Amino acid sequence: MEPMTQAGATAEDDLLASEYLTFTLGSEEYAIDILKVQEIRGYEVPTLIANAPPFIKGVINLRGIIVPIVDLRIKFNLGKVEYTPFTVVIILNIAGRVIGAVVDSVSDVLSLTAAQIRPAPDFSGTFDTKYILGLASVEQRMLIVTDIERLMTSADMALIDAAAD
Amino acid sequence: MSIDMSQFYQVFFEESEEHLATMESLLLGLDVDHPDLEQLNAIFRAAHSIKGSAGTFGFTDLAETTHILENLLDRIRKSELRLRADMVDAFLQAGDVLRGMLDAHQGRGAADPAAVAAVCERLRHLSDGDRGLPSAPVAVAAPVLAEQSGGAGQRWFAIDFVPAAAALGRGIDNLLDELRGFGTLEVVDRPLPDDPAGGRWHLRLLTDRAQESFVDQVDFVAEAGAWRIADEATEAGEAFGFFEDSPGAPAALASADDGDGAYGFFAPLAESAVAEEGDGFGFFAPLPTPAEAPATAGDEAYGFFEPLPATAAPVVEEGEGYGFFAPLPVPPAAEPLPARPVEVPVAIDKPAARVAKGAAAATDSSIRVSVEKVDQLINLVGELVITQAMLLQSAAQMLDAAPERLLNGLTQLERNTRDLQESVMSIRMMPISFVFSRFPRVVRDLSAKLGKQVELKTMGETTELDKSLIERIADPLTHLIRNSLDHGIEAPEKRVAAGKSPTGTITLKAYHQGGNIVIEVGDDGAGLPREKILQKARERGLPVSEQMSDQEVFNLIFEAGFSTAEQITDVSGRGVGMDVVRRNIQSMGGRVEIDSMYGIGTRMTVRLPLTLAILDGMSVAVGDQIYILPLSYVLESLQPMAGDIKTLTNQARVVQVRGEYLPVVVLHEMFGLKSAWNDFMQGIMVVLDADGARVALFVDALLGQHQVVIKSLEANYRKVPGISGATIMGDGHVALILDVSAIAGMARNHTQKAG
Repeated sequence: MEPMTQAGATAEDDLLASEYLTFTLGSEEYAIDILKVQEIRGYEVPTLIANAPPFIKGVINLRGIIVPIVDLRIKFNLGKVEYTPFTVVIILNIAGRVIGAVVDSVSDVLSLTAAQIRPAPDFSGTFDTKYILGLASVEQRMLIVTDIERLMTSADMALIDAAAD
Repeated sequence: MSIDMSQFYQVFFEESEEHLATMESLLLGLDVDHPDLEQLNAIFRAAHSIKGSAGTFGFTDLAETTHILENLLDRIRKSELRLRADMVDAFLQAGDVLRGMLDAHQGRGAADPAAVAAVCERLRHLSDGDRGLPSAPVAVAAPVLAEQSGGAGQRWFAIDFVPAAAALGRGIDNLLDELRGFGTLEVVDRPLPDDPAGGRWHLRLLTDRAQESFVDQVDFVAEAGAWRIADEATEAGEAFGFFEDSPGAPAALASADDGDGAYGFFAPLAESAVAEEGDGFGFFAPLPTPAEAPATAGDEAYGFFEPLPATAAPVVEEGEGYGFFAPLPVPPAAEPLPARPVEVPVAIDKPAARVAKGAAAATDSSIRVSVEKVDQLINLVGELVITQAMLLQSAAQMLDAAPERLLNGLTQLERNTRDLQESVMSIRMMPISFVFSRFPRVVRDLSAKLGKQVELKTMGETTELDKSLIERIADPLTHLIRNSLDHGIEAPEKRVAAGKSPTGTITLKAYHQGGNIVIEVGDDGAGLPREKILQKARERGLPVSEQMSDQEVFNLIFEAGFSTAEQITDVSGRGVGMDVVRRNIQSMGGRVEIDSMYGIGTRMTVRLPLTLAILDGMSVAVGDQIYILPLSYVLESLQPMAGDIKTLTNQARVVQVRGEYLPVVVLHEMFGLKSAWNDFMQGIMVVLDADGARVALFVDALLGQHQVVIKSLEANYRKVPGISGATIMGDGHVALILDVSAIAGMARNHTQKAG
């Protein structure tokens, strides 16, 4: 009796789909938990922050809140870094903070079940594997499912005081 | 029915702190020889409220200590004991201990059990010390009455109670001990020791005292309302200690005379008043007919509520008045013992406390709102101001094309938003008396310790400033006052020798001046010894000269580690402190100045901005970026001439301003930006006063002056060196606010490295 219920629960977990927002950086496609996304907006020129790393573009005014803008393309050396009217900023709500991330484009919102997300092979790339939850393939596309919270709060990003130290 | 009590903890902490503050100020104002009964009652009420709510919320340590405090207060207020100065000291000490416990419960530090025990012991000693003395005639009218009715003076009381979970064990032992002190105690029936619910106790007490003398003790140990005391002679009549004032009960007569009977807020009510009160507050409505109810009530845990259903209507009405108590009062009567006994008393204590409060301050109506909500409001209004500025700017760009009605509307909007902003900001404003009120105590304790006679005068207590500033200014001010007391005011002999009154005066004064609040701490003491300071400064190798102005010399005492005290006391003299004071005040965007005359006195003047949310700023352009300089740091600005700028070794540069060389801070170099200009002659030098040192900041252009709303950069990002915050300009863009002290510091390091 016991094992059966257990198995049932796992199967249910596998079927339980979460929604992911997918976006592209260069030729790579990434997926992040949609619950971390507050909104998506066009790029506007931010106010520079002196002596900040190059991927921190500055801060913008988001309805009265000062929000730092990170260009993930610069951070990971992906895609052409240019700012057009179509450049997109994903406003993330992470660890009680609001952070904007510049990406090439936002594709769509997908439902992925836990079963669809496969563990990533241990490759050493620009994108550290510790921020990758797994890989998912949907209709010939390979999505890199990213732990955006871990990434943004990491010391690498230098977005948070404690982590920066 | 389970309520998470922790959600009310914050309210409890705040209320208790208020009660403690009230208690302290009343105690300090108390005339020991002729105490005012009203004041004593008010102190008692404050202590009682703390005890009540502490018990409700399960903070037993607080409740126990206040209970002891209350016992002593009660005896004093009934004139059984005479108030003495050492009692006031003990009360103040108890207040400190309670505050410590409150802090500990809020996770700030830990309570010192030894101090708690010591204070409790002291209070108990004071309270018991003169137990043997005959009580004053006015004191307890009830025993007199008891004698009349009982004849022999001693009566048997039947006491039943179900102890509260928190009081199990020691609490009950204490109660039994206390009751034994009143007369002969018989334990008729005690519950089995392993009864998880605590079980029911049945006691008989033979005493010559009125029942109100031990009602409190029983009430304290017992589960809320789950107790009964019956006078075996008169039986059911006064079964409820709580209702002893109810018409018909014999004690009513007594307490009608005895203005300070058992519970501050019921006691003074005469017969009709009780009835009236009962109507007003459904709770007490059933009072006039309690005769048979208590008989059954005593057997049940919630006897207190038993009479309620009869008057369900007023209860409901009451429930509406106090939203969140509504579901509570009625159900407990029918319900079995709830799992957590502490939950129930909300129904009782809360409204009771409100009643007391409402009666005391009916005119002073206010609500408690979380700072978060206010801040949100302030942010929204800030946004509104920015939007309005944006609209006005766009309309101005339309020039003639803008319809007149639009312009009129915009002007009106501007006025309205400004008014709105002002009123919203004023929500955060609090009178400075919140800070000042603690100083009489500081002065009292310290002057006693130092053997000095000091009088504290305060002026302008109603001056308002931002709540966040109120919280942060308290420590620096305390330090300044301690400093005045220790170093400023001389010992009485010295004062007399100098031809002054032996009693020194410390004056605390607050007033508004422009957009600032000014707080002065003055004393009529010895004044600052200029020569001694200079000598000390030379010893410490500070660059000083005889030509320095008094102001500059006095400012030396703000240097870290600087002290002219011959002797280090535990009050001050270690030379830490004044530099911390200055740093704290500067971090609030304020400054501190010293005026002093040797032998006459010293005056420290603290100037603070009214609020931390808004700042007067000057916008400057560097390359394509706009920065805000806090106006309070700006001394002047000038366009340098070709020969004004000299280069020292390497990078360091100085600019000559009226014969003085000031270090130059080149903002675009420091921030890695590209200046619009190639040489200094085209830009502007802004002379800044940063912590007493002057520097010239080179920027491209001055743009204008604004009032800016300060936004945190750290909320979503992190601290940036040289930047103290951000703001939003009229066009919706973010501008960063420069941290002048930090920039000057960075430039100094830079210069030193280069030199």
